Amino acid sequence: MATSTTERAQRVLTGTHFMLGNYAVVEGALAAGCDFFAGYPITPANEISERMSQRLPAVGGKFLQGEDELCSIYALSGASLAGAKAMTATASAGYNYMQEGIGYAVAVEAPIVIVDVQRCRGENFASQADVMQMKWGPSGDHELIVLAPSSVQELFDFTIRAFNLAEEFRNPVIIMSETTIALMRERLVIPPAEEIEIVNRRYTSLPPDKYLPFKANEEYGVPDFAPLGEGYGAIYSLNPHSEEGSIDWNPDVFEQLYKRITGKVTQHRDKICKTQAFKMDDADVALIAYGSEVRPCMDAMEMARADGIKVGVLKLDTVWPVPEEQIIQVANHVKLAITVEMNIGKYTREVERLCCAKCRTAVATKNRGLVHFPEEVYAVIKEVWR
Amino acid sequence: MKPINIRICGFGGQGIVLSAIILGTAAVTKRGLYAVQTQSYGSEARGGQCQAELIVSDSPINSPATQNKDILVAMFQSALDAYLPSLKPNGILIVDPAMVTDLHNTTARVYSVPATETAVKLGNRICANMVMLGYFQEATGLITRDDVVETMKELVPERFHELNERAIDAGVELAKGTQIDIF
Repeated sequence: MATSTTERAQRVLTGTHFMLGNYAVVEGALAAGCDFFAGYPITPANEISERMSQRLPAVGGKFLQGEDELCSIYALSGASLAGAKAMTATASAGYNYMQEGIGYAVAVEAPIVIVDVQRCRGENFASQADVMQMKWGPSGDHELIVLAPSSVQELFDFTIRAFNLAEEFRNPVIIMSETTIALMRERLVIPPAEEIEIVNRRYTSLPPDKYLPFKANEEYGVPDFAPLGEGYGAIYSLNPHSEEGSIDWNPDVFEQLYKRITGKVTQHRDKICKTQAFKMDDADVALIAYGSEVRPCMDAMEMARADGIKVGVLKLDTVWPVPEEQIIQVANHVKLAITVEMNIGKYTREVERLCCAKCRTAVATKNRGLVHFPEEVYAVIKEVWR
Repeated sequence: MKPINIRICGFGGQGIVLSAIILGTAAVTKRGLYAVQTQSYGSEARGGQCQAELIVSDSPINSPATQNKDILVAMFQSALDAYLPSLKPNGILIVDPAMVTDLHNTTARVYSVPATETAVKLGNRICANMVMLGYFQEATGLITRDDVVETMKELVPERFHELNERAIDAGVELAKGTQIDIF
């Protein structure tokens, strides 16, 4: 962990920058205390590995170029369980390969952070086509926390939050990036180190003979960590396991284990799910968007209001777990909710189920390798709002 | 100040993206403005079409993609052919006459800047982008000459500083007497 003042100063580049989105992720990770990175080259995520390979060793961390994505993702769990704050970065096709390792991290409750810079089928064009895969990639029962930054500033801020949530809930956290913001340069303000909130994992206070690696104090709680090399024994297995960590196929034990592993996320939505509402107080129409698509929505909102249509924007900072309460609250007081996304129309299904019998729904999709233009979003508003 | 949409285009190797980064960095870190910069280019290290987009504003910028540009800087004919339709009909077109000859009867306000010719006279055609930057800041007043020079020195290897600074000043000279109203 970053403890000394000098190291902390080297990690946090306080000031105003004009920075590439991928670089802002690296700076966020370093500010959050990341001390292990493993990755395999892939565009448009390469600038993350490139900068990390220069910055991380200089502040005492370890950088590993894995021989592939599987190596990288499993190295993350290993490093994390040994006490590191660990991160990898990849892009759509590389994220495919990582699913098995993400499932493992869920099962052994390893806090890891994965950046997935979505792209279009092998090309560096922008896309949000993987919004479902972000969560549903691995097999088996699981919950993943997925954050959706919309700007270079949020790539920095949300990366810090990703590490904090991973540590607090002992769960993989995904930063859902996109070509649009990853390869964009923008104003970034990095605050002084002492103003950045850092969450570190909780270690057990029990002696080794009393410690159970998968026992939590509450039904939906998070188990305490065992410090490495101090006589605590723990087996971290993907297989069904008991609170002792022994491989155990007992249906009662299994059911209880996965109720807790998923419940520790779903039962803490109030802490995890964040949204931002813009001009929603008097809105008849809500634009619901995440990632870079929020940006044209903000402009379309102003265009519509100038023409007398009361439009508001609900920005989803967390896309998984679904911010259900916030979406229901919007559905209860608008007449129409339009989901805006850069794919064939996917997350709209989550929105539709929450708006059911409360308000009309529509979707504005674009799957052409480029974020919506504000005019395109406004055209959809005019078409469906009567 | 309403957001100003700028596109700089040419071929890979002319320093098109670097020009946009220097402008954006200077606007944000020296002038306290907001800027968003994106780019696209072919996979070639040299050659291939290349363009960079820059939006500058005094307030936060929402949409990073805009359909109509206020200013197009064209450093190569094929790039101009591709991107001229994205320039507003009454927009500002800045071209290098050695590289761009056919302006397709554009209705835009045209400014001709002999950046490559000037760069060759300075001893290296590679600094044509710096001549263009020097011209652009002087004629538009978006940032200052010192902003450009300082930012260039922060972003470019030291061995190019002296040549680039001379190129920027040559661009400033070319802009003397020209005022482009962008606000």
